[in-house]
Amino acid sequence: MGAKWYLGTGAQNDVVINTSIHIARNIRSFPFPSRLSLPEKLKVNSVIRDASEAIDDYSFNYAEMKMLSQSEVVSLAERHLVSPEFASSRDGRALLLTEDEAVSVMLNEEDHIRLQVMYAGFALDEAFKTASSIEEQLSRKLDFAFDDKLGYLTQDPVALGTGMKASVVLHLPALVSTSQITKLIATVSKLGLSLRGSYGEGAAAKGDMFRLSNTITLGISELAAIENLKSIALQIAAQERAAREEIFKTPVIEDRIYRAYGVLKYARMIDTNEFMELISLVRLGAVKGLIKMDCASIEALMIHMQPATISLSVDRPLDRVERDKLRAAMVRQNLG
Amino acid sequence: MICQNCNKNEANMHMKRIVNGRAAEVHLCKDCARSLGYGEAFTGFGFGGLLGELLSKGEQIGSSVRCSFCGKSFEEIAGDGKMGCAECYNIFYDKLLPSLNRIHGKASYSGSRPQKEASVELRIEELKVALKAAVEQQNFELAATLRDRINDILAEGGEQ
Ligand SMILES: [Zn+2]
Ligand SMILES: [Zn+2]
Repeated sequence: MGAKWYLGTGAQNDVVINTSIHIARNIRSFPFPSRLSLPEKLKVNSVIRDASEAIDDYSFNYAEMKMLSQSEVVSLAERHLVSPEFASSRDGRALLLTEDEAVSVMLNEEDHIRLQVMYAGFALDEAFKTASSIEEQLSRKLDFAFDDKLGYLTQDPVALGTGMKASVVLHLPALVSTSQITKLIATVSKLGLSLRGSYGEGAAAKGDMFRLSNTITLGISELAAIENLKSIALQIAAQERAAREEIFKTPVIEDRIYRAYGVLKYARMIDTNEFMELISLVRLGAVKGLIKMDCASIEALMIHMQPATISLSVDRPLDRVERDKLRAAMVRQNLG
Repeated sequence: MICQNCNKNEANMHMKRIVNGRAAEVHLCKDCARSLGYGEAFTGFGFGGLLGELLSKGEQIGSSVRCSFCGKSFEEIAGDGKMGCAECYNIFYDKLLPSLNRIHGKASYSGSRPQKEASVELRIEELKVALKAAVEQQNFELAATLRDRINDILAEGGEQ
């Protein structure tokens, strides 16, 4: 494995884990994926693959999902390179992926093209620039379904318009522990954005990781949507920092952080939920300088500790007990 | 089937999630799905429930018109919440409009546009690929539509 996007250290990384841009496009001369037969899907894949070969500055590896094992595909989903929906059925689907995994293109998911660009830290402008450059180069080779009034047409009318979704993943342990998160989720939804667990849902979000995204795709330009997201993300980050100040006024949080570190360092078995809960505290401790661990390796660990990704690392299916043992061993090793 | 979140209401939204290393289906009622943040685009979870429900509330369905390009009827679209192709938006625009307004408000598009209208060659080339696929599969109805389109574009080109 070469260097991946999540191994970098990005801007504002005390709170912002990563930034992503998704763009949906369809080719006008083919029906949408749910109306395509298997041979037609393969045709669509090859048309898009050909177009991708002409893209400057980015070279893609191409994989038919049929050729991968179920664990490999689920692991792609755990690494957020494909959606769970994409992983759930492999027929007629394909993936274009750059070596550093920063750019992935799902073919024949909900739309013919679902482009994703993901960067570490707070990098909305950079990610949007990359995504639009790739989209623009594809549009020179492919006739995208577009309507003057409705914008880019998608299989699901909810996504039509810009067909773009921008997101930042935020680490919000202090807003969760001070119970401000539920109110924040409600407030944000009134501003045309959504805030939801990045691993798991709602207030039960694992690892206190939340994804903030724009939800409006019609009547607002891509740049305006990104500016809106940017300003709300920065406000939430500021709120999180203030809440951290507050919780660090008592010694309780420091104790919890060191206990979490102790458990991760010595446990012989650990399941995903407990791991996520503890690693969230350790990340908070690392940001505060209590624990010597850099954020990039914590993010990498979170990704590598997800169930299918663990099973994949030993190349055979594991039962729960084996997996929890292996996870504890790998965590110990990573914590040195 | 009962909602897995509240264990109370009927589950009418079925979404794919990765749970413990497997792609699993989650069954939720409409309210729980919304409160858990599923009411948005791009989740890749399928919107069948949501759009279907929006459509069947107000719109008159029950007509037998089918899309001339992909063959999908409006009833089928209301059933699974998925448009069949770009042309469906054209053909069913009036029927779809109330739902579009409910989803997006009365906004009109103000985002980026394709750099330039795709060239005639490009459009024809793509249509030919689609035509070949349709013929190989013996989908002659679609093949005929595609052939008409190619001829239309060629005729337009010829007039200029
Ligand atoms: Zn429910
Ligand atoms: Zn159609």
